[in-house]
Amino acid sequence: MQINLQQLETMPGTEQAVAVVGLAGRFDAHEVPHVRQALTQAADRTEGRVVVDLGGVNFIDSSGLACLVQGMKYCRERGADQILCNLQQPVRIIFELTRLDRAFKIAGCVEEATTTLAARNSQN
Amino acid sequence: MSYEDYQRWKITPVEGRPTLSVVIPAYNEEMRIIPTIGAIASHVSSLGMPWELIVSDDGSKDRTVQIVEELGFANLRVLRAQRNEGKGSAVRRGMLAARGEIVLFDDADNSTPIEEISKLLEKIREGYDIAIGSRAARGAEEANKSLVRRAMSNGLRWVVANIFSAGARDTQCGFKMFTHEAAQRLFRAQTISGFSFDLEILYLANKFGYRIAEVPIAWVDAPGSKLDPAKEAQRFLRDLVKIKLNDLKGVYANA
Repeated sequence: MQINLQQLETMPGTEQAVAVVGLAGRFDAHEVPHVRQALTQAADRTEGRVVVDLGGVNFIDSSGLACLVQGMKYCRERGADQILCNLQQPVRIIFELTRLDRAFKIAGCVEEATTTLAARNSQN
Repeated sequence: MSYEDYQRWKITPVEGRPTLSVVIPAYNEEMRIIPTIGAIASHVSSLGMPWELIVSDDGSKDRTVQIVEELGFANLRVLRAQRNEGKGSAVRRGMLAARGEIVLFDDADNSTPIEEISKLLEKIREGYDIAIGSRAARGAEEANKSLVRRAMSNGLRWVVANIFSAGARDTQCGFKMFTHEAAQRLFRAQTISGFSFDLEILYLANKFGYRIAEVPIAWVDAPGSKLDPAKEAQRFLRDLVKIKLNDLKGVYANA
């Protein structure tokens, strides 16, 4: 699996940074320790403002889903959020079947995700 | 790949006979089976053929049966089992219940990505009776396989290749496709309920003269495997002997 956590975007209308973590490949228990570390580092750099770009992920198992839930909680504990984006169809369906599509904020693309984070930020 | 295809499959029962049946054997799979069903439903619905999905439970003690039934898909059947009898038993019940002209069985952990199905379908369309996913064929890709499992696989493959005539190098990959006729004949003749049922099926397929294509596939050692390599190796060798003895005693004569 490929993990890219270096990219930083600026939220629209603010100077605040958002970390974009890009994932690609099969997201299962073998990958969880690496992804968890990447999400934690990303959240620590941006006070919890994280976008997870799942555009390259073609399968996610229950441990991968649990890892994303933990990442979301970590961000929310810091008063911000973790937004998912670019879900491929199989991954979107897996989120629906596990009903986790209701728990996460899911955006179509990175730009939409950062806009959503900015809107949430302005409400706080 | 269209989301509408998936939505249509989910709510509209197949009219008449499906072209394809996909059978997933399941034992205590409440943690793994829903993502696998999602991946399969997404991909197979986009292939443009009527299809059904069968989850063949093996007496699970967790909520596998309930959570699959709760999905409520129009073309999904769950076969319940009162007792745990082994993977071979669950696959057998699923394969015999399948209505499709072509039948695939596929492991509940999605260790062979469902996208590999096209390679097997191609072989069946070419006229093969059976197409099996293989981690031993040239061009196959294995990921995350432990050293113990790798050693066990290589040892058993050597035994199968040199002592046993199964007609394939990798007999154990849980991704195999059959024509309906071949599936009915072979799984009715099956006597082994455990892990090495594949070996018996391929032995019989070879004996009956079915054409078998061994197709290289990508495979990932999915976490949470219930196999104990040492125990399974012993059982595998014991079953090899049993199959040979069955044959000598004429157990398969009327199949």
